[in-house]
Amino acid sequence: MKSPRARHCRLLILLLPLTFLGGCATMDVQPWDRDLLAEEAMSFSPEPMITAIDNHIYFSKEGSTGGQEVGGGGCGCN
Amino acid sequence: MQLGEGRRSPSLRGRLTQAVCAVLAAQAGVVGASAAAGVADPATTSGAGDDVPNWQFDAAGLVYGEAGRAKVVEPNARITRLFGNGARIGATLGLDLVTGASPTGGIASTEIHTTTSASGRVKTDAVGIVPTNQFQDHRASFDLEWTQPYTRWLTTSFGSHVSREKDYRSLGGTGKVSFAFMRGLLTLNLGGGYDSDEVEPTGGFRVPLSDGTVLEDGTVRAKHSKTALLGVSRVLSRRWLVGLDFTRMAEDGYLTEPYKVLSVVDPETGDPVGELTESRPSTRLRYDVLASSVYHFDTDILYASERFYWDDWGIVSTTTDLKYRHDLYDDRYIEPHIRFYAQSKADFFHYSLVQGEELPAFASADGRLGSLRTVSLGATYGFHLPDRPGEWAVRAEYMSQWGDGHPSDAIGNQQNVDLAPPVSIGSVVVAYSLRF
Amino acid sequence: MSSDTNPRRRCFSALGGPCEVLVDSEDAEVVEAAFEVARAEADRIERKFSRYRSDSVVHAINSSGGRPTQVDDETAMLLDYAATCHELSDGLFDITSGVLRRAWTFDGSRSLPSEEEIRSVLRHVGWKKARWSAPIFTLPDGMEIDLGGIGKEYAVDRAALLVSKVIDAPFVVNFGGDLFANAPRRGGMAWGIGIEDPDHPGEAVLYRVDLMSGGLATSGTARRFVRDGRRRLGHILDPRSGRPVEGAPQSITVLAPTCLEAGTLATLAHLRGAGAKTFLEGEGVQFVVDG
Repeated sequence: MKSPRARHCRLLILLLPLTFLGGCATMDVQPWDRDLLAEEAMSFSPEPMITAIDNHIYFSKEGSTGGQEVGGGGCGCN
Repeated sequence: MQLGEGRRSPSLRGRLTQAVCAVLAAQAGVVGASAAAGVADPATTSGAGDDVPNWQFDAAGLVYGEAGRAKVVEPNARITRLFGNGARIGATLGLDLVTGASPTGGIASTEIHTTTSASGRVKTDAVGIVPTNQFQDHRASFDLEWTQPYTRWLTTSFGSHVSREKDYRSLGGTGKVSFAFMRGLLTLNLGGGYDSDEVEPTGGFRVPLSDGTVLEDGTVRAKHSKTALLGVSRVLSRRWLVGLDFTRMAEDGYLTEPYKVLSVVDPETGDPVGELTESRPSTRLRYDVLASSVYHFDTDILYASERFYWDDWGIVSTTTDLKYRHDLYDDRYIEPHIRFYAQSKADFFHYSLVQGEELPAFASADGRLGSLRTVSLGATYGFHLPDRPGEWAVRAEYMSQWGDGHPSDAIGNQQNVDLAPPVSIGSVVVAYSLRF
Repeated sequence: MSSDTNPRRRCFSALGGPCEVLVDSEDAEVVEAAFEVARAEADRIERKFSRYRSDSVVHAINSSGGRPTQVDDETAMLLDYAATCHELSDGLFDITSGVLRRAWTFDGSRSLPSEEEIRSVLRHVGWKKARWSAPIFTLPDGMEIDLGGIGKEYAVDRAALLVSKVIDAPFVVNFGGDLFANAPRRGGMAWGIGIEDPDHPGEAVLYRVDLMSGGLATSGTARRFVRDGRRRLGHILDPRSGRPVEGAPQSITVLAPTCLEAGTLATLAHLRGAGAKTFLEGEGVQFVVDG
C-alpha cells in the first residue's frame, strides 16, 4: 500500500541515521567513563525473557510487528 | 595510647584463624619452626585470566487473562552457556497453554438471534455480546541461539526455532551481524530471518467468503516470512544510549485466519442474517522503524521508544513505550511501564458485509485488523531473596484495548451497539535469573 | 625500628612502601639469602595482585567486563578468605569497596562528595554482587576488587614462610609496618617494634611493642584522610553507607600468630569505628589503640 504517509516515513528512515552518525561525531565517551553504560540495566532490553513475553502478547492482540529482533516468532496466534 | 589484651576467643576469632590457616596453607611452617615440606607452593601455580564457561538459567512464567475470554499460562525456561570470550549458546523451551473464548469476527446483535455459522453449526448469540468460539490449544516451542564475538568490532549471532501447536507449525532461522565502530560507541546491526510455517486448520480449509460448508483441497498450507533488519545504536554520553532500527518483513502464503468469519447483515436493520468465512491477501509487506533511548540519571534509568509501523494491507500504527526504573535499596528496583498503541484499519477490514451487495476480493472482521487503540499500564519489581542466589522480577500489567465501536458506516441497529467493545487484559510475569 | 645494632638489616621497596628483612645473625650470606627470598616473594605478590599492574590477576578480574574469570588456587584462597571476612564482619569488610575512592579522595582536603556521588559509586560496591564459586569469579562490569587490605599481610606471611625454609636464624619480615617474626632474638630477647605517629609519619615513634614472635599489623588513618569541618574522616570506608567510619581510633595495632590474622583483626576492628576496642577485647586479641 503506497500511501503518502508511508512514503513520508521512508524519507524519515533515510534521514535519521545521517543525523545519528554525523551530528554526534564530536561526542566521545572514554572507556573509564563507561561505568553507567556498563550496568546490565543500561540496554534496550535488560529483561529479555519478559520483553519476549510482552511482545508475544502485543503481537497476538495487535496488527503490527517489528522491533529489534528478526523473525516472525512462529506463532499461529496472528 | 591504650594497651589492651582481650579475655577469651569466641567464634569470630576462631573462624578467622581457620580462614588464615586455609590461605597460608602452611601455617605450621610459618608459626612453628617445623618444616613445611610437601605443602604446595601457590607461587608455582598458574596465573589468572583464563576464559572459562559459565551458565545462566532463566525462567519466566506468564499468567494472562482477558475478561471473559482467553486465559493463557506460559512457562518458559532458558539455559545459556556463557563463555569467557563473550560467546554464548542458549536453548529456550516454552509452553503456551491457552483456553477460553476468541471472537469469531461476527458482530454483536441487538436481538437474540440464531445463525448458521460458517462452520455449519447453528448457534444462538445473546444481545450485545460479541460472538465467540470456545477453544483450547497448547503450543510448545524450542529455540537455539548462538552469539559469537570474533574481534572487538565484529559479533555474529544465529538462532533457530521450532514450534508446534494443534493447527500450526513453525520452523525458522535468524542471523545477525554486529559491527562496532568508534571503540564501541557506534554499533551497526544487520540481520535477517526466515520462517517457514504450516497451517493445518481443524476441519480443513474452507472456501474464502463462503458459508464454510465447502472445503478446499488439502489439509496443510504454507506460510513464509522473510525479515531484514538494519539497526544502529549509539552511545551519546556516559548516560545516554540511543538506537534506531528498521525492519522489513515480507510474508506470503496462507495468511487468512481459518476460523474467523464475518457477519452478513440486513441492509436495512443491520442485524446479522448469516456468516461468511474471511479472506485475506496471500502476501503482506510490513515495515517498521523503532527509535529507542535509554537514559541513566544518577541512579534511575528511563527507557523510551517510539515505533512507527505500516504495511501494504493499509495498517499504520504508532507505539510509544516508556519505562522508568527507580532503584530502591539493596539492588531492588521498581519499574513502572506505560505503553500507548494506535493503529488504523486494514483496507479490507469490515465489521460486516451487507447482504445483497457484491462480495469484495478480501474481507476480514478480525479486530486486530481494525482501527484499534491499546493502553497498557504496569510495573516490574526486581529483587533478590536474602541469602539466596539469583535475581527475581515480577511484572504485572493491565492492558485495555478498544476499537472504533461506532463507525460512520454502521447500518441500522448497528448504530445502537458498540461494535468493538473494550477488552481488558491482565497479566503477571514472574521471572528468575541465576548464573552459576 | 630495630632495638639495637645486632640484627642485620636489608631494605628494598615493594608493595607500595618500604620493606625490610632483619636477621639476627652475623653471617652475611644468611642475611643475603633471607633478603633475596623475601624480596622475590614480595615482587611476585605485587606483580600478581596489584590492581595497578596491567598483568595482574586483580587487573584481569577488574577488566573482565562482567565476564567470568578462572582464577588459580592461590587467588582462590584469597577470595575465599575475603568472602569469610565479609561474612564475619556482616559486610563491613569488602574487597569491592575500593571504588568508593572515586568519591572520597584522601588527600587531606576538604572536598566531600555529595550524597548523589556516594550513591552512584555504591552501585558498584558489594561483595554479594560478585559471583564466586571456585575457581570461577564473576565481577559485574564497573566493579573492582582490591586485595590491598590483605595482600601486604599475606605477602609478609608468605615471605616469612619461604625465608624460614632457607635460614635458621631469627628474623623479621617487615613490609610497610606489617610484619612477622619467626622467633625471639638470640638470647630470648624480644624484637622492639616502634609504631609511628599517624600525624607525623616517618618521624616520631608513638609507642613501642615488644614482639617475641608472630605477626603484627597496624591499621591507621595516617596519611590518608579528608576533613569535614573539624572532623578528620579516615580512610576506612563503610561499604554499606559509602561513608568513612566514624569514631574509629587513628591507629590500631594487633598482634596475632600470623601477620594476615593480625592485619585482618586490625581492619575489622577499625571498621567498627567507636566499637573497635570493645571488639578487640571481646575477641581476645592482643592490641594497642591510639586516638
